[in-house]
Amino acid sequence: MNQPEHELARKLVQHLDDGVGRLEPGVRGRLLAARNTALSHYREKPQSVRGLAWASATAGRRGEYRFLDPRHLVVGTAIVLAVVGVVWWQSNGNPASELAEIDSHLLSDELPVNAYLDKGFDSWLKRSSR
Amino acid sequence: MSDFFAEVERRAYKQALFAVRDDHQALDIVQDAMLKLTERYSGNPATELPLLFQRILQNTIRDFYRRQKVRALWTTPISSLFGADADPDTDPLETLEVQDDSKFSEPPAEQLERSQVLALIEKALQLLPVRQRQAFLLRYWEELDVAAAAKIMGCSEGSVKTHCSRAVHALAATLEKQGIKL
Repeated sequence: MNQPEHELARKLVQHLDDGVGRLEPGVRGRLLAARNTALSHYREKPQSVRGLAWASATAGRRGEYRFLDPRHLVVGTAIVLAVVGVVWWQSNGNPASELAEIDSHLLSDELPVNAYLDKGFDSWLKRSSR
Repeated sequence: MSDFFAEVERRAYKQALFAVRDDHQALDIVQDAMLKLTERYSGNPATELPLLFQRILQNTIRDFYRRQKVRALWTTPISSLFGADADPDTDPLETLEVQDDSKFSEPPAEQLERSQVLALIEKALQLLPVRQRQAFLLRYWEELDVAAAAKIMGCSEGSVKTHCSRAVHALAATLEKQGIKL
């Protein structure tokens, strides 16, 4: 090959560009339809999730709002659930708090009727009164 | 995005057509590539779009080859039984050669119109091995630099240069054989 490589490539590409300019109208029409389909799909996307538009737009700006990253949201939700669980356990299910409540009732002489029905409590009361 | 598509869609169609040699499939490939670009990268800066689109387009063409290969395995059970291309280390795109065409065995016309020259160039491009054609089109037609072409093709920059050089030499040889001197 006598000509430099890139020079020949340039001439080949010129012919290819000419060919692109002379595409059949049918093909050009189908390409236009394909382009419109892609663009309409692009435009429809925000409408289909209108309710989440703000959230997704904000989450998209990851640099500014890192906490709205899906992974961060999952971790945050887990932390909130854990805190709620601890509070609930402390207020309702903790046996230590139940004992503290009974002790306070005992000291203030305001025992519930159930306490007197408890055989163990009755025997303890007799022993302690001796 | 619309202006970008308007600028690249015809070349993209031609690229796909050279690769798959079926205008319906080529149009489907271009549409798939456009859809993927709008779905995934519509928020990217305009300067990044050409490279992203080329990568998507080449991957879509590659997917077409893979689907075709799988289909061929099912439709030609004998070839799959003999395991003609069972080596997993072999890249089929590196070795895929197209069949010769009877058009090139005919003597060229004395006076070729510009459209006839173009038809010969396009035919010669189709006859190139896949990787050579890909490198040539990305480097010279899409005017990507060697590094970008290498990234899209998933090979080294040296390989891109080699494929480009071989492609230009092969095209020149084919055209000279037809009596065409550019």
